[in-house]
Amino acid sequence: MSKFLVVFKREYAQVVKKKSFIAGIFLTPVLMAALVMLPAFLARQKASETEHLAVIDQSGCEIGAGFAKALERYFIDDEETVPYYAVERIFELDRVDSSGRAAVEDSLRRLINDKELKYFLVVGEGTSGGDADLYLVTNSDNFRSISRFEQRLSDLLSARRLEKSNVNLSIDSVLSLTQPIDLTIQDAKGESIPFMVKYFSALVFVGIMFGMMIGYGQLVMRSVIEEKNSRIMEVLISSVSPFQLMLGKIMGLGAATLTQVAIWFALGAVMFMMRSAVSVDPSIDRIVFDPVIIVFFILFLVSGYLLFSTLFALVGSIVNTEKEAQNFVAPITILMVLPFLLGIAVVQEPNSTLAVVLSLFPFTAPTMMMMRVVFIAPTVTEHSLFSGIAAEATLSFLIVVAAVAGMIWLTSRIFRVGILMYGKRPTLPEIIKWVKY
Amino acid sequence: MFLKLDRICKTFGDKVAVDNLSLEVPEGVLYGIIGPNGAGKTTTIRMVMDITAPDSGRVLIDGNRPDRRFRNRVGYLPEERGLYRKMTLLEVMLYMAELKGYPARTVRENCDQWLQRMDLLEYKYKKVEELSKGMQQKLQFITTILHDPDLIILDELFSGLDPLNIELIKGILLELKRAGKTILFSTHVMEQAEKLCDHICMISRGRKVIDGSMAEVRSRFGKNSIRLEVVGDSGFVSSLAGIRKVTDFNNYLELELEGGADTDAILKSVAQRVSVRRFALVEPSLYSIFIDMAGGEPADPGGAGEVADV
Repeated sequence: MSKFLVVFKREYAQVVKKKSFIAGIFLTPVLMAALVMLPAFLARQKASETEHLAVIDQSGCEIGAGFAKALERYFIDDEETVPYYAVERIFELDRVDSSGRAAVEDSLRRLINDKELKYFLVVGEGTSGGDADLYLVTNSDNFRSISRFEQRLSDLLSARRLEKSNVNLSIDSVLSLTQPIDLTIQDAKGESIPFMVKYFSALVFVGIMFGMMIGYGQLVMRSVIEEKNSRIMEVLISSVSPFQLMLGKIMGLGAATLTQVAIWFALGAVMFMMRSAVSVDPSIDRIVFDPVIIVFFILFLVSGYLLFSTLFALVGSIVNTEKEAQNFVAPITILMVLPFLLGIAVVQEPNSTLAVVLSLFPFTAPTMMMMRVVFIAPTVTEHSLFSGIAAEATLSFLIVVAAVAGMIWLTSRIFRVGILMYGKRPTLPEIIKWVKY
Repeated sequence: MFLKLDRICKTFGDKVAVDNLSLEVPEGVLYGIIGPNGAGKTTTIRMVMDITAPDSGRVLIDGNRPDRRFRNRVGYLPEERGLYRKMTLLEVMLYMAELKGYPARTVRENCDQWLQRMDLLEYKYKKVEELSKGMQQKLQFITTILHDPDLIILDELFSGLDPLNIELIKGILLELKRAGKTILFSTHVMEQAEKLCDHICMISRGRKVIDGSMAEVRSRFGKNSIRLEVVGDSGFVSSLAGIRKVTDFNNYLELELEGGADTDAILKSVAQRVSVRRFALVEPSLYSIFIDMAGGEPADPGGAGEVADV
């Protein structure tokens, strides 16, 4: 058996045999799903108790009373017995009574601090003329309630403005005439994938890549450091060439990566077959079954892993302890998470100059290009290797492959010297000397 | 398998580690490279193993430049050594032997016998981290010879082993020698080399000081020394007539004689001053030969200093 295979086999077995590998396979998707679904699930939860309000009304035309009445349409339960909002009191003050208003406001603020009241609304005198002279005082950020208040108050003020104008129409007919529209969005194929579906799919694909690259890349690094620290390296080097050792490690752990992703794919396929049981947007098919996305996911996963694990092998060969290595790990990690950090900017404009440049720079290309592919590929009617997103992704992939080749060359030069250097961490000029040596 | 070093040199920065060193290790001998810490022993061995390349000079195996196959026929135990802590003894043995291209099946057949001899059989399926340091060293020794190498290179093999285990391993080395294996080992403890080696090469500051079979080296210097053990202060000894040099080994003195010195007279004058417990005419020890030849005090006359060679 070739010595490369002996190393490969050991590195693979060391990971796959571990209990944490099996646990990771099943726990990671569960955690990921929880992370994605939990906020949505919690947001959909109904409020448990009625929210209490007060209103200070200086409009002189009963805007406050109108507001209280408008809120009566909201109920917590389906039987419409428990009201969502309870307007405790409306203070109708005289228009010019500013000191009285300040006193009432003070006492209401105290109630809010004591949590006896959740909101109070101050309706200024300007509202009688149709101006938006009002504000809400609260310590809560319940955006659902706040947007309801906005809606109801807009309607009330519109009615007020209508009364003042000469248009002889009822408020209801005006509202129905000015009904806003929901713009449906179709892509070039004439179909529509909701933004959130695309966004979460991109996060899942890029997240898997990121997890594999950093997780297994660091395993490569740790494995090198372990062999340096335990001084086993010298015995190994008397049996295998440094190059065989390095490649055996990178490939062996890479095979473990692919094993893990393959198991996830299988699990995903099973879950997909049972998708009717859970409510998933049907347009997800368009992304998970897009051959362009699948092909580039595998290509970028493999090439990205090779690039970063080689980089991590380089770091492992020049440091002595994991603590020393942490200084290098941080900048490498930032390169990888860049697409997450720039996430929203990229997805809003996947063809922006920044996104294109980063998807052609080898160390950000795998994750950045993947993100763009997920966003763009499903909308394209016809793929060509010479134009469009597929061509761009192919170019980006080739750049990564070239970088991998360069990286393996560079690392193998540094690796063979670095692994036998204990003690002082080498300086940059020393490392450059090793490369030439 | 025989080994030849032809005028090899190695410098690190401006420090000369090995200086124009030539030596020949014939097949089937126990060959000792001795010298104090920092003499260049480990650097020499690393160049033999092709871990560092010499600046000039050649390393020849059986008269040729070593190729890839050479690696599989060598067993190498470096001075700084370790094992995978999380692997079991069996896994470690299999891995190390397979890296030498040795079939796993044969390892499985032979390993029990070695583990038994080293008193490690009960740990076969245990993890390395459960072993004591001495046990780990014995396991390292097994992994060095398990693939039946023709050339065995051991750098400071005995450091850290207790006397019982040293005897155990010495016995195995002699067996291997009888089986025709070539064994090269380095030590800074001269007595070990003295007891075990057929052939020695003494180096100091990267240069060869003495090279030859044990018998040759001894006869070159003749029985011109006295080993003296006394009770009381022995400071006066160096002023006696006929004594060229005194080396103090703490428990005894070694007196190097001038040509034609009267040993009876020396014994008498010593006995007058202090009570003599032992007075023997001996061949000089390697250590005193070393001081003679190297012309300076080695850093450490025989203690087990753990400072790594450069």
